[in-house]
This record gives sequence, C-alpha cells and structure tokens, in this order.
Amino acid sequence: MPALLEITGLRTEFRLKSGVLKAVRGVDLTVEPGETLALVGESGCGKSITAASVLRLVPPPGRIVAGSIRFKGEDLLALSEERMREIRGNRIAMVFQDPMTSLNPVFTVGFQVAEGLRIHRGLSAQGAEREAVELLTQVGIPAATDRVKDYPHQLSGGMRQRVMIAMALACGPELVIADEPTTALDVTIQAQILELLDRLMAEKQMGLILITHNLGIVAERAHRTAIMYAGEIVESAATAELFANPLHPYTKGLLASLPEFGTPGEKLATFAGGVPDLRGDLAGCPFRERCPIGDDACSRETIQMREVAPGHLVRCRKVS
Amino acid sequence: MTPLLTAENLVKQYPVRGGMFAEKRILTAVAGIDLELYPGETLGLAGESGCGKSTVARLLTGLTPPTSGSIKYEGRELARMSKAELAQYRKEVQMVFQDPFSSLNPRMRVAEILGEPLEIHRIGDAAGRRDKVAELLRRVGLSPEHMMRFPHEFSGGQRQRIGIARALAVSPRLIIADEPVSALDLSIQAQIINLLQDVKKDLGLSFLFITHDLSVLRHLSDRVAIMYLGRIVETGSRDQVLNRPLHPYTEALLSAIPSLDPKKRTRHVIAKGELPSPVAPPSGCPFHPRCPYAQPVCSEKRPELLEKVPGQRAACHFSEEIFLKEAK
Repeated sequence: MPALLEITGLRTEFRLKSGVLKAVRGVDLTVEPGETLALVGESGCGKSITAASVLRLVPPPGRIVAGSIRFKGEDLLALSEERMREIRGNRIAMVFQDPMTSLNPVFTVGFQVAEGLRIHRGLSAQGAEREAVELLTQVGIPAATDRVKDYPHQLSGGMRQRVMIAMALACGPELVIADEPTTALDVTIQAQILELLDRLMAEKQMGLILITHNLGIVAERAHRTAIMYAGEIVESAATAELFANPLHPYTKGLLASLPEFGTPGEKLATFAGGVPDLRGDLAGCPFRERCPIGDDACSRETIQMREVAPGHLVRCRKVS
Repeated sequence: MTPLLTAENLVKQYPVRGGMFAEKRILTAVAGIDLELYPGETLGLAGESGCGKSTVARLLTGLTPPTSGSIKYEGRELARMSKAELAQYRKEVQMVFQDPFSSLNPRMRVAEILGEPLEIHRIGDAAGRRDKVAELLRRVGLSPEHMMRFPHEFSGGQRQRIGIARALAVSPRLIIADEPVSALDLSIQAQIINLLQDVKKDLGLSFLFITHDLSVLRHLSDRVAIMYLGRIVETGSRDQVLNRPLHPYTEALLSAIPSLDPKKRTRHVIAKGELPSPVAPPSGCPFHPRCPYAQPVCSEKRPELLEKVPGQRAACHFSEEIFLKEAK
C-alpha cells in the first residue's frame, strides 16, 4: 500500500534578482495514516516552503523544479490545477500560524467554516451552516450556534485558532499540515489546542505534518521527527529515538542550546556563525562552517542521507 | 540590604471606549502590585499576554506615569524627583526591547544609535564617544567595523546585540528587559541569554527580566514573580516558585509547558477557558473561573498576597490545603 504522503527529491526555488534561492534542496519525507510527523528547523530552513509545495501554493517567484509528491500514490505535481483544487482544503488541509491574518475579516466565521463544505460537498447554505455549528462544537467553541454569526475580530486568539482547525477539518481531510499552529498562543491555550489536535487525529486516523520550532511540543506530540537545515532534512527518526540519541551535530547543538537542558545561571551551549546563503550552489555540507566535528572533506563531498539504525537517518559523514 | 527599586501598590488604568454611545469603561492593566528589586539580582516577571507585565516595565522605566502608587529608586520617590535626579534615573535604568526590528531606528547608523545616549547624557567628547561605541560593540560580540552600518544589514540576533549595547552605553545599574529573546530563533536565543548573563556578571547589574517563557525564566532569574490579570499572584525564589508552586495558576502554567522527555508524558493540569477581560475582571480571586480548585469563597473574597513559607508569597485562599498538605 502506498504511503499517505510520499515526498521524494523535492526542490523548490525562488528566482530573485540577486540569484536563484534554493529554499528546498532535495527533501524526502513520508507520512502514514494516523501518524504525526514533526518538521523542525529555524526560520529560513525551508520547512514552510516544503509545506506550501505539498499544496502547490508556493508564492511566486517560487516554483517546484524537481521531485515528486505522491498522495496515496497519486503524483500531485502532475495534476491539473482543477484536480488540485479538489484535493486542497478537502483531502489535504492546512492550519496556518496566525489566525488573525489567515481568516477573512469581512465574513462571519460560520460562513468561512461552511465555505469548504459548500464547494467540496455541494451542501446548501443552511446545510453547511448546520454542519459548521457541529464542527465548531467539536473543536470546543462554547455556544457555537451564536458564535457562527461572529466575525474573526470578535473572538480571542485561542478561539480563532479553533476556528482555523474547524475549517481544516470541515471536509474530513486525510492529511493535515499545521504550520506553527500554537506559536501565537499562550501556553495554557496552547495546551488546550494541542490536546484537541491529538484527540481529533486519533479519532479520525488523519496524518499530521506538524511544523514547529518548539521542541517541547515535538517531544510530546510527534511519532516521528525530521530536522531541517538550509533546505535539507539532516536527520530523521522516531521522536523518542531522536531525543535520546541525536546524531547530527546540528540536532545535538539545537538540543544542547535549550535552557531546559542548561544549569540555571550557567552558560548555554551555542554554535557560532549563521545559516549559509542559499543563493547559488552550496558545495558539501551546509552546516560545515558551524560544525564542531567537520573537516575539509565535508565541504567537498555531497553528503547523502544514511540509515545508521533502523528508521534513524542522518546526513553527516562523520557519524558512524 | 535595601532594595534598589521598590514599587508600592502600583496601579495603571486606561480609559477605553466601546463605541460611539457606549459608556466609557476602565481597563485596569496593573491592579496594585508591590515589587522589590535588590542590587545585583535578576528578578523574573512572568505571565501570559495581557497580564500587564509590559505595562509594569513601562511604569518602572518612567515611560508611562502610574495612575496611583509609588516607585522608589534608592529610597527616593520617582514622582518627587527633580529634573536632574530624573535624568540620572533615566541614565541608570535602561531598557531592552522585545523586537529588534522595530526598536532600532532604520535611518540611523549603528554609531549614531549607540552614540545618541552618550550625547544626551553628555558623556565624553566626539573622539571619546567613538572609542566608547567601538568598545560597546566588542562588548556585545560585534566588531567595531560594524559601526557605519544600518540596522537592516544585521540579522535578528545581531540587532538584539545592538539593542543591548545601546542599553549599556550609559553605564546603567538596572536593566529592564521585556521579552528580549522571544523574537529570536532557538540557536540565537542561547547566544543572547549568554550575553545577558555575561554583562550582568561583569558589570554587576541588576535585571528585571520579563518573559512568558518559563524555561528562560528558570535559567536567568534569582527570584521570580508570576502575574495574572494585573496582579502578582505568586513570588519567591526561582526554585521555590518553579519547583513547588503555591498558586494554582503557577501550577497550571508550569504543567502546560510540553516536556522535552518524550517518554515522560506529564499530567497536564489544564486551566479551563481563557484570560478574562481586564475591563471586567472576575469578582474575588481573578483566577477563580479557570481554577480547578475553586471554592465558593474564591468568587467572593480576593485573596491577599501573603507569605506562605519563608520567602515565598502567594495570593490564594487554599495554598496550604492544596500544596502544603503532604509536606506537613
């Protein structure tokens, strides 16, 4: 049986005046039904562009230049725009980071949750609104019958994020991509939203790609984790394995730099330097300049992803 | 030891208008807080958005006048200071802001950004100031060659270093830092945390550190204060408050943080519902509508912030019953 989602050799580039920016440089990922895959990395590593590529929503001047994205065996990159629209928001849905800018301020939340149902399910306006009330109740919005008439600005941040989740779930998608779904929220509200996502994923056996930079959320929620750096996946493994036994120097450094692992008052581990410029060609390992164990060969050779333990892949030639 | 800075019953209210014919209402951002900050210590002030922690920073730096209450610096009341004393206060108490993108003037070069506070406080001559700027840049891990650049030529982490250098320019004694690392990427966050700790140690500064991130709070603070809806609900040493909280809100905050150990699924004590509006705060204890332990008395009588064990104070009617029972 094909995986729910299988990305192979994905490359997404932006043609800029200053050169071609290679945002995603050969990404391979799979997601199985009912599985939560965390995609972790710092800003600019290409995690959001990978997500946008799956939905074929890369903003211009970006475009997908190579690779395949198979959804239950069907190559999404080969579909017509019309066929793609039938999948987008219907079988693959997206939860965005900032509900204030991704909800339309001039329509009621009920109308926006119902929109997908009218388009993809052909429900009548009343039928779709009844369904919207049901969905808003499911995501824990009290008095949903009244709330459907509210506009986004009348709701709190946590409530707006619940609306976003209800919209994403409206058509019963098989895959949900959540891009930093709780970054804009307070911790007590974040806990509520994550509990909700967890419960719904388990109930409906949906696949979830969780994009985040919060390693605590990853440790608690994801089955598998992929670490991204400079447009590449540098390490992936089952979450428990990755946290217990990080192998790539970048993953190790990232975990070591967390205040949770430091001694109060003592120095935190840091790495020097910054992310390389992704314009033009990058020879060798993109982490070379900041790496504590790299050598000259690292900047010459193309480094491949290797399986070093069952299900644990790492892109580093120094790891045995 | 006498405190460097004291706030007593500090209140800040803002009038808000609902609509054209709506009644004018009062938003109480800070509802009477007491704070003491001792020389050389880092006090961490934590709470969720809208709890009033940034307003506290603005009140203490003198950027906003309080509605009532008093702020004392070395025993002298801020409201009664002469112009010269106030200028001295503004030199000795500096601020580092959250967003390194909007807190630096994009049209000024680094040399001007760092030189301006020196000019205002009439420190040194032109050549002396240039040397001082170079020294400041080195101090925060940048190079004096960066002096003639504009803010947009730097990354977020570097800009925050410039923000810290600006605060250090006039040799302050107290730095108030409002979420100085929350806009930064993980690996950069650690660098800035280390820098803040270095300057604190080397220059013997006091810090008021405002954050919503409890792991950063634990790492940097000597003492902590937890705010909820304009009030301090708990305060004590770092280990007291973060290891054995005596207020249900602190407990909920701590348990809402996802654990980094994938094998350990912590039991989440989830606070129900959301932060109430500061325009219409709940009666009695401000946390009672969300509190899992609430009793009838909680909605009737507001608990005072009282010392429950030596050095640790909490504003809860039932601290002893909930948190201190098994200890006895």
